[in-house]
Amino acid sequence: MPGADKEADLTERIEAFLADLKRGGCGTGPIRGSGETARETTALLRKVTAQARWSSAGDLMEIIRKEGRRMTAAQPSETTVGNMVLRVLKIIREEYARSRGSSEETDQQESLHKLQHFVHLKANVIEAINELLTELDGTTDNIAMQALEHIHSNEVIMTVGRSRTVEAFLKDAARKRKFHVIVAECAPFCQGHEMATNLSKASIETTVIADAAIFAVMSRVNKVIIGTQTVLANGGLRAVNGTHTVALAARHHSTPLIVCAPMFKLSPQFPNEEDTFHKFVSPHEVLPFTEGEILSKVNVHCPVFDYVPPELITLFISNIGGNAPSYIYRLMSELYHPEDHDL
Amino acid sequence: MSSRGGKQKKGNVTSEQEEEEQPLQAVLVADSFNRRFFPISKDQPRALLPLGNVAMIDYTLEFLTSTGVQETFVFCCWMSNKIKDHLLKSKWCRPTSPNVVHIITSDLYRSLGDVLRDVDAKNLVRNDFILVYGDVVSNIDVSQALQEHRHRRKVDKNISVMTMVFKESSPGHKSRCEEDDVIVAMDSKSKRFSMGTDEFEIRHDLLDCHISICSPQVAELFTDNFDYQTRNDFVRGILVNEEILGNQIHLYVTQDGYGARVSNLQMYDSVSSDMVRRWVYPLTPEANFTDQQGQGCTHSRHNVYRGAEVSLGHGSQMEENVLIGRDTSIGANCHISNSVIGNNCTIGDNVVLDRAHMWNNVHISSNVEIHQSVVCDGAVVKEAVHLNKQCVLAYNVVIGPNLSLPDGTVVSMHHPEEEEEDDDDEFLSDDQEVGHSKDKTRQKAFNPAEVGPEGKGYIWKASMNDTEDEELAQCLWGLVLNPDPESDSESEASEESQDRTFQLEVLGTLQRGLEENIVCDNLVLEINSLKYAYNITLKEVMQILTRVVLEYPFQQQGTQLTTLQYTGSLLPLLKTWSPVFKNYIKRAQDHLDCLSAVEELFLEQDTHQTAMVKVLMKMYQLEILEEEAILKWFSTGATNDKSRQLRKNQGKQRMSLQRKESEEDESSEEGE
Repeated sequence: MPGADKEADLTERIEAFLADLKRGGCGTGPIRGSGETARETTALLRKVTAQARWSSAGDLMEIIRKEGRRMTAAQPSETTVGNMVLRVLKIIREEYARSRGSSEETDQQESLHKLQHFVHLKANVIEAINELLTELDGTTDNIAMQALEHIHSNEVIMTVGRSRTVEAFLKDAARKRKFHVIVAECAPFCQGHEMATNLSKASIETTVIADAAIFAVMSRVNKVIIGTQTVLANGGLRAVNGTHTVALAARHHSTPLIVCAPMFKLSPQFPNEEDTFHKFVSPHEVLPFTEGEILSKVNVHCPVFDYVPPELITLFISNIGGNAPSYIYRLMSELYHPEDHDL
Repeated sequence: MSSRGGKQKKGNVTSEQEEEEQPLQAVLVADSFNRRFFPISKDQPRALLPLGNVAMIDYTLEFLTSTGVQETFVFCCWMSNKIKDHLLKSKWCRPTSPNVVHIITSDLYRSLGDVLRDVDAKNLVRNDFILVYGDVVSNIDVSQALQEHRHRRKVDKNISVMTMVFKESSPGHKSRCEEDDVIVAMDSKSKRFSMGTDEFEIRHDLLDCHISICSPQVAELFTDNFDYQTRNDFVRGILVNEEILGNQIHLYVTQDGYGARVSNLQMYDSVSSDMVRRWVYPLTPEANFTDQQGQGCTHSRHNVYRGAEVSLGHGSQMEENVLIGRDTSIGANCHISNSVIGNNCTIGDNVVLDRAHMWNNVHISSNVEIHQSVVCDGAVVKEAVHLNKQCVLAYNVVIGPNLSLPDGTVVSMHHPEEEEEDDDDEFLSDDQEVGHSKDKTRQKAFNPAEVGPEGKGYIWKASMNDTEDEELAQCLWGLVLNPDPESDSESEASEESQDRTFQLEVLGTLQRGLEENIVCDNLVLEINSLKYAYNITLKEVMQILTRVVLEYPFQQQGTQLTTLQYTGSLLPLLKTWSPVFKNYIKRAQDHLDCLSAVEELFLEQDTHQTAMVKVLMKMYQLEILEEEAILKWFSTGATNDKSRQLRKNQGKQRMSLQRKESEEDESSEEGE
């Protein structure tokens, strides 16, 4: 039966996606960026909406919530998955409200009206999710378009590690302006090396420095532009480790710290959830396994992320423009519904 | 499924594309064919033993799946039903699993060789496959090795038969199994085992991960050589026949990634602690990669993992590297570090756990201390028990209150004697019924001195059937080197006993020679063959021969001989056997050795020391010994008082000897 086949197909895709999340991209294949994850999540949710059996908006939301819980449990530190689920839930609410009338609905009780609008609801939701996907595709370009306003000629810009958004941002500015970039290599994963190679291919003058030299070099820097993994609800960041160092050094020298982050990275989480905030990977990067005897006497940790408090940040640049960290709460209320914050 | 999109490529399908599209296969051997985990593995097969509260076979399957294997054949022998049940309930047998698992069971497998012969007979593998054991824990990305292997086979037309995956790790690392320690000679450029090329390196820093990428020829080679039992046999066979058959084995050495095989309890301990300290990322406890309900746990600082519904008493500390399963309750003032605790356990107050491995449903009462031990499902440890290092409590054992178990104790509900009787049927008595009926017939009483007043269980000694004088004692925790003074003397004794036997044989030969009038050449032949049989050096042969001859009169006529009688019977014998002596005493060193043997004998035979001169005289006359040698021996310092005395006694006779020699010379000169 085609129906059963489709369902099996859907389950298989979800399982494969979960397995991939759990492995953290450590198996075969390249490490996935957050944009990719966001797009895949949204595509999966669209498929679920299209193929799952539901008869009312409440049902659909329950199904999406269930899948969302499974996906966030697979890799708690990957917040873009949860963010996309919340966006889709907000979309469903909006579409439902629009089809019911102009006023906001306060209760979700079943009623005859829903059955009538069911067909339209499904089509509207899927169309809105498609719009979301287009928005996701265009985020990097939207951010890069704002580059010329922020980067001026003969400036020295510092960045940390590798961020695809920041790379596009700088490449766009380099088309019209000449400036110098200093990249902190960001041990132990040393992704700064790759960033520097890519920037120099775009004929930007690049220097790579070790993390220990960040404070020493900061006095010569005009601006610091960084990317991040997540923007938290209080305006703080969960970024790659080493970012807090850069932020403190920038604050000391009163250098502006600009964060380029698309809207899908905005998460309703606060930074006080100890257990799920951090991600520890294999200590191999810090102290190689070949070291031998010393390993049994020493505890080695390799955390991936860092917390940067909102006071250290000057400006957020996202696909909808530039905002101060204190404005994040407003953006959140526009993107997500308060009842959805706990999946 | 999108991963099997092989149907898209039509038209110019070259053989390369066909090879790539074929699903990657793996052969997983879920039986280790040895009894390193007895008596634990008597109740549960080794592949299902929990490591970090997850069965070991799950780690292996996850490793294979993340490498991209799409078809796995699991071969089980011992307790195959349990393994089958476990796999059917797991996520590997769901229809949505990317890795299709086939379970093949048979009671007839006795070794890895049998499994591979079956693989060949059933024609299961079409292409290169990955061969692993069911207790391998790894996160190595083998796809690079696989690519290299395939490339080599294409380039060299199927000469490379196998690629073995090794991990760089310095010697003495605690995750290196001492039994598996290997020194590898490899050609640096082409990374294959060899010693014959120009540039080869010898490496001792490699850890064998027991992961091999095999070509389909491997199965055929096992069928051809039906005496290959283990992988080592195979490797040896290939290397020995390299020139004839032209097959080669290559290596893949990886620095990143973790791979180890849990081959004994020592490895179990280190792999478990590595897993808790996240060396095997992403196969970590909180990831719940087996997708079981309720198996998830939270990861806190210092690698402390807590399952759901864990309750911790007041004042208890989980110091570091601790994994606690769900529904476990821990009492007050406990101190836990470097331990793994299973689900549904109850732990009392004031308990100290250090490097303890506890499986499910264990009940531990108060005031207990456990160090570096394994406590299996359902065991009960009562108050004030102290488990020292390397103890093992098997399933359902009860250890009574107020007891301290010494290092290395193994307690099991199965009586060790039951084990010896089962010896013949050890693998065939797979059915649990057989084991149970035997239990009922012999319910021996538990010894309260061993397991405590309320205890239940029998103490197991280490494997008793092995050879007697082994310096490496095989205990459950791996090979232990015993620097035993007794064992040294034992090895000496064994050498001495060989000499003794040789001596008796030589005596027998000489006797027969006398009785049957055998020609001396034949006697020499006989003694030579005995020399090869007993592996005696030439020098020793000569000394023993001297000894035997000189003792011969005592042998024949008893020890109560006067010196005169002794010399009377000895001197003719010397004459008879002088050709035999001359055969063995040729160089100057031989003369001295013979003299020292003579000296030794006469030192023992105090009463007959005066006979020594006559003996030496006779030997000189018979031209067995040269005068220079005798004089040299006389002038070398004596080693102890007795021999000094001996020489003093001989001193006067020495003079007479010299005079006699000079007389002879003169007479011979005058004669001319």
